[in-house]
Amino acid sequence: MDRVKLRYMKNWQKLKNNPKLWEKIFVREKIIQSIREFFFIEKFHEVETPLLVPAVIPESYLEIFETYLIDRKNKKHKMFLTASPESSIKKLLAVGIGNCFEITKSFRNNETDSDFHNPEFTILEWYRTNATYENLMDDCEKLLLHISNKLINNNNQNKIVYQNKLIDFSSPWERISIKEAFKKYANIDFNDCITRNKNPFNSEKISVIAKKKGYVIEKNNTWEQVFNQIFLNEVEPHLGISGKPIIIFDYPRPMAALAKIKTDNPIFAERFEFYIGGLELGDGYSELTSLKEQKERFNSEMKLIKNQNKIKIKKDLDFLNALKSGLPKCAGIAVGIDRLVMLFSNSKTIREILPFPLEVS
Amino acid sequence: MSKITTSDFQKGKFIEFKNEPCQIVEYQFVNPGKGSAFVRTKLKNLKSGRVQEFTYKSGEVVEEIPVSAKEMQFLYKQNEELIFMDPRTFEQVSLPLSYIGSFSKFIKEGDIYQVLVYDGQALGMRYPQKVRLKIIEADEGAKGDTVMGAKKIVTLETNVKVAVPLFVKQGETIIVDSDTGEYVGRESQKNY
Repeated sequence: MDRVKLRYMKNWQKLKNNPKLWEKIFVREKIIQSIREFFFIEKFHEVETPLLVPAVIPESYLEIFETYLIDRKNKKHKMFLTASPESSIKKLLAVGIGNCFEITKSFRNNETDSDFHNPEFTILEWYRTNATYENLMDDCEKLLLHISNKLINNNNQNKIVYQNKLIDFSSPWERISIKEAFKKYANIDFNDCITRNKNPFNSEKISVIAKKKGYVIEKNNTWEQVFNQIFLNEVEPHLGISGKPIIIFDYPRPMAALAKIKTDNPIFAERFEFYIGGLELGDGYSELTSLKEQKERFNSEMKLIKNQNKIKIKKDLDFLNALKSGLPKCAGIAVGIDRLVMLFSNSKTIREILPFPLEVS
Repeated sequence: MSKITTSDFQKGKFIEFKNEPCQIVEYQFVNPGKGSAFVRTKLKNLKSGRVQEFTYKSGEVVEEIPVSAKEMQFLYKQNEELIFMDPRTFEQVSLPLSYIGSFSKFIKEGDIYQVLVYDGQALGMRYPQKVRLKIIEADEGAKGDTVMGAKKIVTLETNVKVAVPLFVKQGETIIVDSDTGEYVGRESQKNY
């Protein structure tokens, strides 16, 4: 163990001397209440799934929390804390729950030192059966309008100010595909980033483009790393600057391990994200339901986890059983509730809205 | 120059960015959805004074500029440059005024500061959190502004104006927080 000390910043103590801080804390309960109300009206079931699990879906970009369960015979069993409730909810979908949502805690390791991440955070996921990611985009517009109407007590219920920017939740939101956004903001033609062979996401071509732009690219950088570095530097800063929420959709396949591949263009998958006021708030997709495809992606993700020396996980084979028994056509999305609280309380950092933020000093 | 990675990043460190010397003003980790980790930074270009954002891949290698801190005396301002002298060797260096930002309001001729030097060139300086400056102008009859909680505005020897309590008098030396520009207290007379 490193000699770095972990501490809970004493935010809760500040609440005593500065009663105004309670307002930021109470925004959370109002948001959660209005989310439950929204899904009640939409006739969704609310589900509860475990946080402590013996196996997880391999996702190479995440670092997982591992722990041990000690049984009555003092035998240790390796366990993990879930990075999202996705695998359990999909199991419920496979056996017929239908439209459902969950509000729960999730855990992601290696995510300290950030204004937008806390290692333990609150997530909202919902799944619509017989639906695609486009239905979820509409849900997002409706849900955010519902929340703002519940939270804002004035005549401008569709509008808030976040970090000196006027945000207007009313429909329709802006929508742009990754391909269009790269052309518009980074002046990159997507076709120039991929190789026309068996392995289109070999990083060779995109690295040439990135190097020309002045990025430092090493041989071991993956296609995803190069892509995201360009995205974060040249595309993301433009998203939603008009004050309208923006949906960015059709992600390249390496960034959509559990999403359905587009039938008309297999380079992309049916995944989208939405941003409001510069905050990345949600990530949804038409779910991959093919067992064969999912098995392949499990294996390639396991390889990446090993190559990156990440915590050794146990893959959730039971999840593959769910797909085997037949996951209905569905679409699902995860939304960060802490970031919604930041948005509606006009807070710049996640630390401000948590009475017990976790910080490394 | 020495190579460091993003995990060595610290506020205030000097690095090279696109062949220009820069100082890390702010940095934080970000994980885009379904993506690996990145480090978002705000870098202040020392030549232009401009602050720009850049996002590094987590683990990316950058060149650190190994600056050393040297105790030097501030002599005077000349054409937007600050001239410092090493009191032992009498060697002089100049530092563009834009490099020190708002601290320029508090820098006092004749005082000793820690100047950050690399390859014979001054790249910046360390700012004392508290500065001691003499009041050269104060309205003794001021009734105070009740909105400000009975305070008056005085002028210090570097010509900066600061709000102080009514009992503070002209000729006194006061302590000011150089970050916020706020009055901290009076210098005790015994120190002189």
